[in-house]
Order: sequence, then structure tokens, then C-alpha cells
Amino acid sequence: MYHKTQCEGFQCEQAMLEVPGEAESIRQGVLERLVSWMRHRSLFVLAYGTGCGAIEMRPLMTSRFDAERFGIVGAATPRQADVLIVSGYLALKTLRRVIRSYEQMQEPKYVIALGSCTINGGMYWDSYNTIKQVDRYIPVDIFVNGCMPRPEALIEGFVALQGRIKNGEKGGYHHYREHIDWYKANQRKVLGDQIPPTYTCDWYHAGGVV
Amino acid sequence: MSAILRLLFLIVSLSPGLLLLAWDGSLSWTLIDGVRLSLTLTPLAGFFMVLLAVAAPLVALPMLRRPLDWSSLALYVPLVLGMELLLLAGDFISFFIGWEIMTWSSYLLLLRSPRADLETSQSYILFNLASAFLLLAGILFYYSLSGDFRIGPLAGTTFGQELILAVLLGLAFLIKVGTLPLHIWVPSSYDQAPDLFSAFLSGAISKMGVYGLILLLTLFPDALTSLAGRLLEGPAAGYLLAWIGVVTSVVATYKAIAQEDMKRLLAYSSIAQVGYITTAIGVGSSLALAGALYLALVHTLVKVLLFISVAGIVLQTGQRRFKDLGKLIERMPVSFFGVLIGIIGLAGMPPLPGFAAKYLIFVSLVDARWLLLLAAMILASTAAFIYCYKLIYGPFLGHANSPQAREAREAPLIYLVPQVILMALLVLFGFLPGLPVQVLIDPVLVALGMETIGGASWAELTTTYGGYDGVVLMLVFIIAFVLVTGIFLLLRGRMHRAGSPYDLSYAGEVPTEGTPLHYGAGMGRELHRIPLVGWILRRGTRGFYLGLAGQMRAAAALLGSLYVGRPQIWILIAVVVFAASLAAQSMLGGL
Amino acid sequence: MHAVVDSLAMIGVSYVMGFLFYGFYRQFNARVQRRWGPTIWQNLFDNMKFFFKSETLIHGPMFFFGPMIIMAGAFTTVLFVPFLKDSDWLQGFSQYGNLILIIYLLVVGPLGNALAVGSSGNPFGVMGVTRGLTRLMGLEVPFFLGLAMVMLQHETASVHAIMAAQDSLAHWGIVTNPIAFCVILLPFIGSQHGAPFDVVGAPVEVYAGPRVEFGGRLLGVLMTQRMMMSIAKLVLLVDLFLGGATNILVLIAKAFSLFLLTTVISMVFPRLKTEQAVDFFWKVPLGLGVLGVILTVWLPSWSA
Repeated sequence: MYHKTQCEGFQCEQAMLEVPGEAESIRQGVLERLVSWMRHRSLFVLAYGTGCGAIEMRPLMTSRFDAERFGIVGAATPRQADVLIVSGYLALKTLRRVIRSYEQMQEPKYVIALGSCTINGGMYWDSYNTIKQVDRYIPVDIFVNGCMPRPEALIEGFVALQGRIKNGEKGGYHHYREHIDWYKANQRKVLGDQIPPTYTCDWYHAGGVV
Repeated sequence: MSAILRLLFLIVSLSPGLLLLAWDGSLSWTLIDGVRLSLTLTPLAGFFMVLLAVAAPLVALPMLRRPLDWSSLALYVPLVLGMELLLLAGDFISFFIGWEIMTWSSYLLLLRSPRADLETSQSYILFNLASAFLLLAGILFYYSLSGDFRIGPLAGTTFGQELILAVLLGLAFLIKVGTLPLHIWVPSSYDQAPDLFSAFLSGAISKMGVYGLILLLTLFPDALTSLAGRLLEGPAAGYLLAWIGVVTSVVATYKAIAQEDMKRLLAYSSIAQVGYITTAIGVGSSLALAGALYLALVHTLVKVLLFISVAGIVLQTGQRRFKDLGKLIERMPVSFFGVLIGIIGLAGMPPLPGFAAKYLIFVSLVDARWLLLLAAMILASTAAFIYCYKLIYGPFLGHANSPQAREAREAPLIYLVPQVILMALLVLFGFLPGLPVQVLIDPVLVALGMETIGGASWAELTTTYGGYDGVVLMLVFIIAFVLVTGIFLLLRGRMHRAGSPYDLSYAGEVPTEGTPLHYGAGMGRELHRIPLVGWILRRGTRGFYLGLAGQMRAAAALLGSLYVGRPQIWILIAVVVFAASLAAQSMLGGL
Repeated sequence: MHAVVDSLAMIGVSYVMGFLFYGFYRQFNARVQRRWGPTIWQNLFDNMKFFFKSETLIHGPMFFFGPMIIMAGAFTTVLFVPFLKDSDWLQGFSQYGNLILIIYLLVVGPLGNALAVGSSGNPFGVMGVTRGLTRLMGLEVPFFLGLAMVMLQHETASVHAIMAAQDSLAHWGIVTNPIAFCVILLPFIGSQHGAPFDVVGAPVEVYAGPRVEFGGRLLGVLMTQRMMMSIAKLVLLVDLFLGGATNILVLIAKAFSLFLLTTVISMVFPRLKTEQAVDFFWKVPLGLGVLGVILTVWLPSWSA
């Protein structure tokens, strides 16, 4: 876990990116279990078509792969969405919008990053205006590897996410809220003045953390 | 000195109420030989006196705000007194005197506004004088029929005579009411009049036309049915009047939606509302008349409330257009509730009494089997939701669009007191929809020789088609609201307020102060794409009047061509006319 | 006491019917599109998920009270529609109301919510509201005309009396007054936010709509009220045209068959733009209504 005494800012990137140990054994009451169960059965997706991955998300929703049978449907606006799909590489301009949309979503919220570009930059690894690792800027719950991953792979990602939600594991949004300074520092590093206004996440500092 | 004068002014504004309480019996004296003036308070006039008694002091109170405009106050006094005379009149002479005092003092009051331009004041006085002359002609014709100026039912008249009387007086009152196509003086004068006086124009003065129309019905022995027989279950002549009213409502409603100025919107909405009243008068059954009177009452309350609220906004911000206002809900909360209650009443939503009035009118239309009229009326009354929403969204919700709107403060107390009183009255009548029926409307119906519609209790509104219970409705709604809110707050999970008004889901973009986020001015523009609405909005009555003026000019030119500069032709014409008239008389056997 | 239990029962029944009907709708829709579709409980899951969201953003007090008003409006509407005839149960407060009141109650909530949408300050939301009000203006005219024909036929605005008059299949409204039913059917689909008249919410595709700013538990409230309102309207039409119901099973069966009819119509038509929808309402259903009025009201009075 991240401790301020160990390292500061970018010194501790590696520690930050590591999965925080094995999933803590979660004790849930009846109500919590019920709620988690409802949550895992109903995921509203904000499909952010940033790159070529967007083309793989359409068949996911339509008749062939039919994501609706898992309770996965599209949402029109970030306010209504539970899952943000980042589908492919992020240019700096789109990164700004993705951060903005992510911060506007209502918790609990999850992020699925699609394709190799979101993991290490993929074929854009030496591009001057794309970022390489999405999870330095927003917390990603599930990476789906591939260039591009097939809808089956995406469905598998969704099912894995549903499993985590059902077990009541802490989502990435907890991480984001607890380490907001680190994320903001990273965002500011690449975006500079263009960083989105902070009023969507300011309240994290005001003792709003549960 | 000033305090005494203001006190006197208030007493005059309260005089309709005092008159209602104190008036007893009647006054009568001989003006000249054979012509007696008489003042009585009939139940019908009493009803409209109640409207005046509500509107006059509530409009007068905010007028006392400093700096005082003494001449406005001085003109307001004869206006109120003239209207009292008009309502008390038992004969047409005093009726006409009251009418004229009302017309002229309201005209002079209108001129007190710095915004009143020549065209508006001209159209105001011309239309109102036309109304007065038609009234005069109607009165003289009435005198020739009955030989007396007393207002009472005619007997032994022919169809032609009744028709002439109905057209003369009806036109006079329809001009005052402002139905299509005689409405063009209304929007600009309501808009340009002093802000508070607009409330009185819409709330009280337009009701005098309604009073006249109902009075006109009482002149005929069998109301409108005697004119042209019956159509389905209602009078055929009323069918025409009802369509005039409904077309007025539909057109005025769409015009209201298209307005970008608060007061003009309210002016058009007044025309639409009075259109409903005209329709109900056309139906003429006891249900319909009750509906007409009820709607007149509600419209007075609502319009005085709305115009005073709007006057407060204009006073505090200096802006009157939707695109220059916005987000006043936090700065002017009382005015917000004023407008909110006002539009609920205006739109005729339950549980406020606007619904009760609409309900009576709808049921009366179904009862008369005039379903097509009903459909057209539903069209107007549903489209009214759009302008009602615009009226509350534009100034109060959304984003502040001008520096004044960002810094406005709540309207002064003297503006808020009438608003609170009116809100309380509206809510009270919402709880007790039967109260106005039993206390105010049933006496009028009895006096007109119609069956009463009052129910068992004040809480109920009953008709032969079924009714509803205001107390139960209101309580169910309130309890449901409290329960829902309570349960919602008990659910776990955090609620927090957005850190900035610009925290909007805006497709990933970050709107700033410069982003045009206020939709107030554009609302309703897309209605133009609906063929019927677009057709209505593209047309105006201006073309009609221009055409009329053109015809007049042509006729004048034709007459003018007779006046050539040679005297021998005049003599020739005179000889020809003389010979023709002699010939005509001899042929008719006069000589 | 009876009134309280009865009211709770009505609210419960309408909620359960609501999510089951809409769950069925989603599955049926999926089958038509040759996919499996979600379970029939999916709408319950969605709704509960939203109710248990741990974060809810509001834009000021009016934004919070709007959904409360719409929910209170939905409760009131449900309580003023009689669910059963010849029964003490599931009556709510319907004896204190009438048909016209119910029609207006259906609109109270959405208008309250429109205030919330306005106070959110999102122009897309207000656009959605304007679209909604425009569509309402279109559909209300034929809808109300059809209802007026029913009221005229029975000479009352009381739903109880209209139900009582339909004592056998031959006296059902749909048999005795088929024109009114046809006039009402399409506007009814519009008022249920069903395709092809669903451009207002435009689920999924269009960014703008009245719900653009609502998330978390407030969205849950909006979903709930919509399901309950839909059931209230369905039951109202069952009362008016299908002779009402004497017990809950019959009620569900009748409401379901009506729902199936509207669903089948919705499923095969593409979405209309707002002005197209309004124009359509004013041409086809309203034209039919005018014809109906001429046939059932004018002609008999002339020939008499």
C-alpha cells in the first residue's frame, strides 16, 4: 500500500501500480451481499470510443454477442453510468475528457480499459501526444488485452468485473479517492493547464471519504 | 400630508371591499325627465366586485413604494371608482359613464410609463374608444327597443333586432376582452404599461369585458338560445362565440410561447385565458357559466400574482427578457414561489383551483356535446404548459445571464406581501375548491335563474359528471411527498452538492461562464417546425388590419373623387341626390 | 387503517407489476431481435442498483425536490385509479377523484421534475423537457378527445361508474366504443414513452434528455415512478375499455394483454422526431377522433 513516508509523487509509481496484495477477505452482511448482488447484475456502460476499440463494442451490444443478458446496457451520460470503457489509446485531448467523464460518474464506478494501447501504449508507444499507461491517470479495474480484443474477450472482462463486484471487493474508485493527489499530480504533468477543473473531486478532501 | 394622502389612497383601493360589506339596498334618482339613474348591486356585479376588491388593494399596496409617482396614484383613484360605478350601475347611462371613466383613466395611467410609445398608446385608446362607441350605439339601440335605460331582459323583440343588439354590444365587450382579431392592442399595452398597472389591466380591467358579456346574455329572455336555436346540446349562437374564444386561446398560446419578454408572454397568456372564459360563456349552461366565473376568479388571482412577481424582478434587475435573466431561485426565493404557484394555477394543474375551473369548463363542453371545441381547448391548455415552464425557467432556473441577475436581491417587502396573500388564497381554494362555488358563484347562478352546482361541503367540487375532493387530493399528495422524501433520506449513501454550477455532463467538455448554457430565449423555437404551429406563428393580424386600412383608403379615394374643384358638379350631384330621394319617396308612397 | 393498508398494497402492486412488465418487455424485445436478453427481473436489479448507489450528486434544493414531486405525483396517480371493481380493496382514494383529474395528475409529476431539470442548469436537460412538453401537446389532444367520447358515452367522468356500466363482454368499452379505443391507442403509447414516440428520453442514444443530470438514487426514483405511472395508465385503460377487473389476476391478465398490444406496435416502428410525432398525432389519431365525433355525436343528433 501507499505510504507517504516511503516515497513521494512519481518516485513510487511502481508501488502504486501494483495490485494491493491479494484481495482482502471481505466480510459482508446480508444487506451488503444483496446490494453487491444487485450491483453485479446491472451495469450501465459509458462506452468512451477513444480509439479503434470502439468498433468492437458495437457487436457486443447487438444481437450476436448480446451483452444485455448480463445486465449490461449502454448509458447516455456519465451520471447514469457504472462502468467506463476506455476503448483504446488516449490522446491528451481525449484523456482530459475521459478524466472529466470519470469524475462525473456516481460511485460505485468502475473502469475497463480495452486493448494494448491502454496498458503500455501499444503501437503508439512513441507517439508524442498519447499517453501510455491509463492507470496512472484514472484507476482501471480491468484491463482487457489485445489489439483489438474480440467481443468475447470483452465479455470475459465484464464477467471478471462482475465477479469482483459480487464479492464486494473495493473498486478502483476507492483507490482514486484515497490517492487523489497522486493521480492529480500525474494528470497535471501531462495536461498542464488543460487539466479539468477539480470541483468534481474537490469534495474528496472535505472528509467525504467513507 | 403625504402620509394622509397615502392613507386616503389605500382607503380608496379598499373601497370595493368596503362597498361589498356595507352596500345595502339601492340608490335611484331622476337625471332628466324619463331617464332615471339607479345604482344596485346585483349578485353578478357583486361577483366581479369581489374580483375588484381583491385586485385593487393588492395592486395599490406595491404602488406605495417610494419614490411615489403621485400622478399614477391620482389616476388610480378615478379608475377604481369608475369601475365601481360600472359594476353598481343598474342602468346603461351610469354603466357607460363608468366605462368611460375606466377607459380614460387607464389610458392616462398607461401613458405614465416611460416605455409607452406612440403606436401602443394610439392602439390602446383607439380600440377602447371603438369599444365605447359600439357600446354607446348598442345602448341607444337598446333604448329604442325598450324605451328605458334600465338593464333588464328584453321582451317582444324580433330576431333581427336581437342580432343587431348582440353584435353591437358583443363587439364592444369582445374588444375589451381582447379576442382575436380584436386583440392587437392587448400585448403591447400590457407590456408597456407601468409594471404594476399591468397586473390591474390583466387582473381587473379585462374582467369588465367578461362582466359585460355575461350581462349581455341576461338581456335576452332565453340567453343565447333565443338567437339562433340550439346545436347539439347548446345554443348555436354560442357555438360561434365559443369557437372565437377557442381560436383566440390557441393562437394566443402559441404567440405566448414565442415571446422573449416576460410581460409580453403574460399578456398573450391573458388573452388565451380570457379566450377560455369566452368559450365557457358561449356554452352558456349553468356548469359553463360557473366555470367561466371560476376561471375569471382564478385568472384574477393568478395574473395579479404573476404580474407583481414579474414587476419585482424587473425592479430588482432592470431586465425583462428571458435571455438576460436566470438562476434567481436562490436570490429571490419568495418571488420564485409566487411564480411557481402562479403558473400551477395558470396551467390548471391540480391541486390548485385553476384545475377546478378548467374541470367545470371541460365537463360543460362534454355535457353540451361540443367535443371538437373540447379538443381545441385541450390543445391550447396543454400547449400552455410550455410557456408556463418558460416563465419559470427563464428567470429563476438555469444560469444567470447578466450581471444584474447575478447580484439581484429579493423584491422589497411591499411587493412580497400581496404575493404571499395571493399564494395563500390560491392554496386555500386548492384545498376547498367548492368554497368559491358555494360562496361566490352559486348566488350568481341563482340570480340568473340557473341551477346551482354547489356540493355538500366546501372541499368538494361536484357536477353531474362526478367531482373531486380537494382536501383528500391535497392531503394524499402532501403525505406522499413527505413519505417519499423521508424514505429517500433514510436510504444510505451520500448526497453532496455539485461544487460548481458548471459541473454538468456536457459531453466531456467543461463549460465556462462564456458558454451559452441558458436555454430561456430559444425555448419554443423548435415548435415552428410543426406545420400547424408554424402556420399560426407565421401569420399575424397585422395583414388583416393593413388590408382593412387599404380598403378604407380606397373607399375614401372613391368618395374624394366626387370632390372635384368645380362647384357646378357639386350642384349637379346635389340635384341628382335630391331627385333620387324624391323619386324613392314617391315610389314608396310617401308623397 | 384500511385506507393505509390499501394504499400500500396499491403502491406495491403497481411497483411489482411495473418491473415485471418492463422486464418482460426487455426480454421480448431481445427475442424479437434474436438474442437472449436479460432476465425478467432485470428492471428490479437496475432499480435497486440505483437505489443503493453510494453517491448522489445534486444541484441545489429544487433539483432534489423535483424527483420527490414526481414520485409523490406517481403515488397520487396510482391511488386515484381504481384497480378493481366491486371490491373494497385496491381502491385507494379513487372515489374522491375522476377521469379528468387522473389525466391531469399524470402530468403533475413530470412538470415538477421539469423544475428540477431546469435548476440543474444543463441546457440538454431543458431541451429534453421542451421536447417532452411538445410531445405532450401533441398526444394529449387525441387522447383527451377519445376520453371525452367515453365520458359522453357513459355521461359521467367517474371511473367507477364507467367500469360498472361494462358488466359483460358485450358492454366492454372496446366493443361499444371501438373508435374511442383506436383514437386513444397511439397517444397512449406516446404517453407511455414507448417507441416510436420515445424521442424525449431517447434511451441510450441521445445525450440530451430530461434525465441528463440525474444519477444515483435520484435516477432510481425516476425509474420507479415511470414504472408505476405506466401501470397506472394501463390499469386506467383496462378500467375504461376492458371492463375493469374483479380480482388481481384478471387485472394482471387484462393489463398484460393491453401491454402486449402496445409493445408489439412499439417494437416494429422506428423512432419519430418530435415534430413528426406531433404532426402524426394531429393527423392520424386526431383525424380519426374528429371522424368519430361526427359519426357518434353529430349524425345521431341531426337524424334525430
